[in-house]
Amino acid sequence: MEANLQYVLSGLSIGGVYAMVALGFSMMWSVAKAANFTHGDVFMLGGVLTVSLMALGLPIWIAAILAILIAAAAGALIERFLVRPFNREANAIGWMLTTIAIGVMMESFGTATYGPLPQPLPSPLAVTPLRFGGAGVFPQELLLPVVAVLAMLGLRLFQTRTHFGRAIRAVAANRVAAGLMGIDADRVTMVVFAAAGGLGALAGFLIAPVIQASTTMGLVIGLKAFMIAIIAGITNAAGVVTMALAFGVVERLIEGYLSTSARDAFGFTLMILVLLAFPQGVFGRKEVSKV
Amino acid sequence: MSDPILSVSGLKVSYGPITAVAGVDIEVGRGEFVGVIGSNGAGKSSAMRAISGVLAPAGGAIRFDGADVTRRKSHEMVALGLAMVPEGRMIFGDQTVRENLLLGGFSRVMRSDPEVEDDIERALELFPRLRERLGQMAGSLSGGEQQMLAIARGLISRPKLLVVDELSLGLAPKILDLLFPILADLNAKGLSILLVEQMASYALAVTQRTYVMENGRVLFSGPSAELAEDDRVLDAYLGRKH
Repeated sequence: MEANLQYVLSGLSIGGVYAMVALGFSMMWSVAKAANFTHGDVFMLGGVLTVSLMALGLPIWIAAILAILIAAAAGALIERFLVRPFNREANAIGWMLTTIAIGVMMESFGTATYGPLPQPLPSPLAVTPLRFGGAGVFPQELLLPVVAVLAMLGLRLFQTRTHFGRAIRAVAANRVAAGLMGIDADRVTMVVFAAAGGLGALAGFLIAPVIQASTTMGLVIGLKAFMIAIIAGITNAAGVVTMALAFGVVERLIEGYLSTSARDAFGFTLMILVLLAFPQGVFGRKEVSKV
Repeated sequence: MSDPILSVSGLKVSYGPITAVAGVDIEVGRGEFVGVIGSNGAGKSSAMRAISGVLAPAGGAIRFDGADVTRRKSHEMVALGLAMVPEGRMIFGDQTVRENLLLGGFSRVMRSDPEVEDDIERALELFPRLRERLGQMAGSLSGGEQQMLAIARGLISRPKLLVVDELSLGLAPKILDLLFPILADLNAKGLSILLVEQMASYALAVTQRTYVMENGRVLFSGPSAELAEDDRVLDAYLGRKH
């Protein structure tokens, strides 16, 4: 029983990371109908840049805020130069090549400058674990799913309560119609990519005290987050976050009852089966074909 | 025509190797109500999409309100004063009627123009049925109501020229008998309108001048009242039987 509680708690923690990264994929897909495969590396920037900036003598909060702002700027630049020029025609897939290529380069460049070894990011919330019976978890770990759910709810509020948020929904629904309303759909898309980049970096910053900050931390988490978004139904933000939290828990349960090495084999198999049963994603609606 | 609101010359539109519009000249005078008729695939909608900046023309020039706007994008055209009611209406089905209207005045709302509410009020006076559905999701409206919303939404940007692409598409004659007089009214109050319409009889009845398009070209044009009596129009578009 206590073991199960432990799996659920630490599962929600890693699930919270998946959720924040997957939410970014969802936001970007909704407006651009493209997946930004550098997103795992933008997530990595949140941890790695914070550690690097702290090494320059900056306090943790300033370092983190700077890292998030740099990641947001990176998101905007990625949209402008890697996605937009390669996503002009309906059904274009050039953005796949450009974002995968630059993602790999970001990781190599990071390894060359930051070094191949993970480095710790000290956090006051990752010193003393909270005890729930025999289960223990750092407050830092509990923060992750909480921030993920808050981010999703905040996004929802922004999109329903603000005029710019309505414009984002309009661009997601019909780019041509949005343009005819006087909305600069390219600019809206760029802003959404920046927000997604910032959110991804926030996740990287928050998980770094738990897993340490390394230049390779984004690869598998980015891929998994993308797959989670797909099986959830990528345009449904609440569904994506729910699926991410659930998947984190399932992974920990597999680790606990089978083994760590079985985790990805079983986890990915499960994803394939879910996709087979729900081709539009579990919470997805049928995509209306774009004109 | 001196100082037209819209002047299109030699407009070409192509989709890859396919030419949809092969050199078209169209003018709309200030305060004028102009129609473009022609059969399905004549290139009418492609021409309108180029004029409103939805797609880039392959050739030719577009002047709007005295300035060259040939390469302008649609959101820039809205700012300059051209609003388009697109073919198929393209309302935002997952947003309310009111939100759709606000989106119609997107940049005005962004800069907190206090007169947007007055303009929404005026649009609702024009289409009272929308007032009853203000808080309803636009996707739940009937086709006719959606078309009303699309027109109302277009007016919130305070256009100098309203381009209406296929007003009649999928609508019952009863609705059309309601909508066409509203366009005529808006024009009588000074709004310039360019109407693309497959239902030639309706278009010829409300417009002042009409262009007839086929195969990506303008075949001929003239005062609508004269064209309504023209043999070529009667045979091809008004279904006269011999």
